[in-house]
Amino acid sequence: MRKTTILFCSLLVMALNIQAQSYKLPDYKSFTLSNGLTVNLMEQHDVPVISVSVILPAGAIYDSSQSGIASLTANALKHGTNNYTKSKLDEALDYVGATISTYSGKEYAGLSSKFATKDQELVLNLIKEILIAPTFDVTEFEKAKARTLVSLTQEKESPRSVIGDYNNKLIYGNHVYSNKINGLESTVSQFTVNDIKSFYKTHYSPNNAAISIVGDFSTKAMKKSISKLFSSWKKGKTSENLASQPVVPYSEAKVLLVNKEDAKETTFYIGGKGISRNNTDYIGIDIVNTLFGGRFTSMLNDELRVNSGLTYGAGSRFNTYRYSGTFYISTFTALETTEQAIDKTLEVLRNLHENGLDEKGLTSAKNYVKGQFPPDYETTGQLAGLLSEMFWFDFDKSFINDFEKNVDAINLKKANEIIKTYFPKDKLQFVLIGKTEAIKDIAKKYGKVINVEIKEEITGEY
Amino acid sequence: MKKIIFPMLLFCMSITFSQIKVDDVKTFTLENGMKFLVVEDFSIPNANMYSFYKVGSRNEHQGITGLSHFFEHMMFNGAKKYGPKLFDQTMEFNGGSNNAYTTENVTVYTDWFPVSALETIFDLESDRIANLSIDPNMVESERGVVLSERRTGLENSPWRSLGEAVQATAFQEHPYHWPVIGYQDDMKHWTQGDLERYFKTYYAPNNCVVVISGAVKTEEVKRLAKKYMEPIPAQPEPPKVFIVEPAQTGERRITVQKDVAAPYMMIGYHTPEAKNDDYYALDILSSILTSGNSSRLYKALVDSQLAIGIFTDYGLSFDPYLFNFYVVSNQEVSTDTVEKTIYDVLDKIKEEGITEKELQKIKNQKLMEFYNQVETIDGKSNNIGTYELFFGDYKKMFDAPANFNKVTIDDVKRVTKKYFTKSNRTVGVLKANVEE
Repeated sequence: MRKTTILFCSLLVMALNIQAQSYKLPDYKSFTLSNGLTVNLMEQHDVPVISVSVILPAGAIYDSSQSGIASLTANALKHGTNNYTKSKLDEALDYVGATISTYSGKEYAGLSSKFATKDQELVLNLIKEILIAPTFDVTEFEKAKARTLVSLTQEKESPRSVIGDYNNKLIYGNHVYSNKINGLESTVSQFTVNDIKSFYKTHYSPNNAAISIVGDFSTKAMKKSISKLFSSWKKGKTSENLASQPVVPYSEAKVLLVNKEDAKETTFYIGGKGISRNNTDYIGIDIVNTLFGGRFTSMLNDELRVNSGLTYGAGSRFNTYRYSGTFYISTFTALETTEQAIDKTLEVLRNLHENGLDEKGLTSAKNYVKGQFPPDYETTGQLAGLLSEMFWFDFDKSFINDFEKNVDAINLKKANEIIKTYFPKDKLQFVLIGKTEAIKDIAKKYGKVINVEIKEEITGEY
Repeated sequence: MKKIIFPMLLFCMSITFSQIKVDDVKTFTLENGMKFLVVEDFSIPNANMYSFYKVGSRNEHQGITGLSHFFEHMMFNGAKKYGPKLFDQTMEFNGGSNNAYTTENVTVYTDWFPVSALETIFDLESDRIANLSIDPNMVESERGVVLSERRTGLENSPWRSLGEAVQATAFQEHPYHWPVIGYQDDMKHWTQGDLERYFKTYYAPNNCVVVISGAVKTEEVKRLAKKYMEPIPAQPEPPKVFIVEPAQTGERRITVQKDVAAPYMMIGYHTPEAKNDDYYALDILSSILTSGNSSRLYKALVDSQLAIGIFTDYGLSFDPYLFNFYVVSNQEVSTDTVEKTIYDVLDKIKEEGITEKELQKIKNQKLMEFYNQVETIDGKSNNIGTYELFFGDYKKMFDAPANFNKVTIDDVKRVTKKYFTKSNRTVGVLKANVEE
């Protein structure tokens, strides 16, 4: 949703056969408070709502031996503040239909919020209280901890929920990027409210953080109000940069075989090392991955689903962080077709390396990523999230504004180079979640097998 | 999204749809009965096409259960001009993507594309509606796909098997009895003839409503609709679903075994279809019970640590369906305690009603919900189409604020008393140990 495009829309309709107009990022103002907090403000007046996205360096990479502490701390921010008990806070938000959610990811923690323009004073003040003056009520903490412990048991009932964590352990080894965001039962069960208070104290500070606000407001008034609300937030120490440590490369093909006794299908990832978000070939890699496993007609889905009916869906992705990333192919199939599906997957990957791409496929992928781009930045929430990402990964509006130009610049030669450079070919890393008894002989074909039980904790370096 | 009528907010302090008004939806019907609803919105250089077919698993019978959903898959597997694979390949080459879904009531096809691809989309859609070719080889490989879809659903979520059991128990005669995905044995035995008959009966232009939102001009949409869709002949109206589920006369209970850490529970009460006058009060009741951390059941179950999570769902349907409660119990808490707590909360509403403040809270939330829905061109198409099908007229979308505003404290109390009785419910529990 962008007012800025209204001007050339008439042109657009007259020229239906011409490629859609390129998408430009709406203007926004950016400034830094004296405590180091970066503030981004973007006006969007189409709907009378405001979205807020806050990003802080307080993710699971800082868990150290307390697996899950970052996530529980982020959740506990909403357990009450100096001026609001948890129930008063919940009531105040619910009454106006506003949402504030706090969470921790792998690298950063975040807050996202959406509310009606008319409620901005109330909700912005609540956001401030949650970030600057949380009280970490002990009763509420114990409840949240108990819920987390049950959910940690429950996630093992769904292969899809845990396969990513196994994959990260396999590829990142003991690097902090292998830290499991929602934690382990053995550590979470030991936490006290003092642990989260201490994590908060160390990691929640305005320097190295950003607040991005998009929606129906006046920049001038919002600047004044944000400066007033957040200036009292005290600057903290910058945390040690743990994630920039190099990832120790794996030396051989490995198969992590996870036994789920009642499995009727095998869920699997195949992959290896990926790229960091700031890789200069990011857009080119996205285009090639679109063809390989990023859309319905991709090579993987075409072969495993459309041609053979082995699965409901197969795909691949590059999961990127600031300093590193993974690449993985993911799919699932009936226990009895496990071998056939894995072999086919490997054949598709081999074909990518041996045959590369053709001109028609490349054009199709380029049209596709361009055509699907604008709806990613249509709402105030999407735009606020984008501004947070731009801050975190340190890219600027040229990513949006030059996107089409950069897509167009990828030619066949470049695309084929990208395959060779970035798509893993050997020493592949496998995670198979299924019934070990039924697939253990198949697993041996692909590398050194490591046997684990899904009901055990994901603690090991594999 | 067009920027319009903000001043309206000043006049209407209650819920109002300020961003889209009834006149913004342009509508026309082709000679073959295909109805179009169009919203011009130039906020991004994209558009979408949502095709709503009035066919779902309620139109099936035993022996062909799951066929509506399977047919949804077959609609991507080749027609006359665009053979196997070409529908997706052509759409993606032109920058578009698509998806589709099937429910008990409807099958919906969704295309999202840069507006430059509009004519191609019409060409693709009209080809498959006019001349779908049902290739036996494609049928076989697609059978594997839907069997995998069923299997992976069961593998990854306990709600799948519990939901199927509760639905089958609550409905004994009406086709809501079986799951949308179908019975595994039926899935293995559909015939070519079943598919061809289904296509001819239900995939007719007169059984379809098309909604298009985005950077389009209505006149251009009309020109393309006439060119591509109008030549497709209408078909006789599909047979009516005449089965009415007999009133339930006693509580029903069902248990399902699965290796889970803590029990999952569902409680379903028979409730009326979307067109019924009680729809709005029941929808508000659902929010009163579970919308947000300040809701009644969240406080009674999650805050009190009896459960890990609770939600309710009162969905849209053509025939009377269910108002469902979904609870994950806490470990060490008996499902009896959880169940009783839910009934206590309902009883309290039956006796004392809800508060004025609670009612106003839900009305405020409805406004935000609406903003979220119309913030995107997808939300617009989906909402407009949904109202057109389930409420019989897209204009009802614009009456919804008034209809929600009309709901009183007494209405909520009345519907709670009327529908939430012991004899009207089905209780399902999924747990590891079913022998104790």
